[in-house]
Amino acid sequence: MSKEDTLARMEKAIIEGNKQEAEALAREALEEKMDLLEVIEKGYVRGIQTVGDLWERGEYFLPELITSAECMKAAMSILQPELEKAQIQAQSKGKVVIGTVEGDIHDIGKNLVASMLAANGFNVIDLGADVNLERFVEKAEEENADFICLSALLTTTMLGQKRVIEVLKEKNLTPRIKVLVGGAPVNQKWADDIGADGYGENAMKAVKVAQNISKG
Amino acid sequence: MASVPEKIENLKVEFDEKRILHLIGYKTKSMELKNPVKIMIAEETQKLDHLLHPVSIYTILDYEDTNRHPIFSDAEKVALCICTIGLELEAETKKLMSENEMLRALILDSLGSEAAEEVAIQSDRILAEKAREMNLWPSKRFSPGYRKWDIQEQRYVFSILPGESIGVRLTESCMMIPRKSVSFRINFYKDKELSTRKK
Repeated sequence: MSKEDTLARMEKAIIEGNKQEAEALAREALEEKMDLLEVIEKGYVRGIQTVGDLWERGEYFLPELITSAECMKAAMSILQPELEKAQIQAQSKGKVVIGTVEGDIHDIGKNLVASMLAANGFNVIDLGADVNLERFVEKAEEENADFICLSALLTTTMLGQKRVIEVLKEKNLTPRIKVLVGGAPVNQKWADDIGADGYGENAMKAVKVAQNISKG
Repeated sequence: MASVPEKIENLKVEFDEKRILHLIGYKTKSMELKNPVKIMIAEETQKLDHLLHPVSIYTILDYEDTNRHPIFSDAEKVALCICTIGLELEAETKKLMSENEMLRALILDSLGSEAAEEVAIQSDRILAEKAREMNLWPSKRFSPGYRKWDIQEQRYVFSILPGESIGVRLTESCMMIPRKSVSFRINFYKDKELSTRKK
């Protein structure tokens, strides 16, 4: 099978959410000593980009996005150790520190955003739920992160998003570190009011916002 | 006077597949559901028998015995209720997430949300019936955090109802644990017109 055929199958595996195929092809790529960066960029990444396009056209929905993101993760977990061994850095769209703010233990939405961001080439550091507000800033500084993504599902806890931005400002970390906010009570107006750099109405929109900011 | 809090148990929770599909992100009616997703929904639904523990607790107060919040005004009586499906479904969802089974976790979480809502609907019906038995007109159901009833009013609901007796507690940020819980009020009016006002 030609290299192009293998790359096309990788793309298709992600589009169709075929985890077994995505994993088998990743192993094949290692055995065949394929150029792993090419495998990622011209195979799997193309697949996840197509999935994003299908979602935008209303042909794919959240379950398909999740399934494809899981496939991407599975393939990457096979390729990653080899990339590290060879000291090859896959192209990252940016480093993201993500979590649900203090006082709030909702995590499924935040996990979906984390998963989608990772599948779309972002390096994601997930702090979990009920995260101390200062911790977001500390971790972002420590990791030299590009983004902080803050999830809040309650009107009482969404104030934490505002506080994180205030701390970033106090430390002169804005506008270098961009803040994206999301969660059920959050909307664009709230994001604008508190000075967030972006608002993700859902997981895929969060990815699009982050991608647009990354592109500058 | 407030009635002694009573529990509502043995509620049977049924699911509307269309609602579940909507909750997991499907937005159109005409779409054809992929088989693996269908199978997953069926498999997660099967788990529910042992994951759901639906129960509610309610009390009915005379208006004078409430905290006289403006949203209670003109009501003869106010029914307060806390409903839950318990903690087990959330624990299973967490386990699925830790196993990277995100889609299954989302499906189960959505089933949990729908189940909690269903418990609230059924409890609402029971309370509305009690209003009618008192020759009063029940309003719609309203929860703290919606319309003009601030989320902080959860504290009032929990000061009146012993949430712990059905395993529900309130955090400092007014979040109920288990998360798949619903609290609400229904105002009982003498006047039918008042009961249909959107307060």
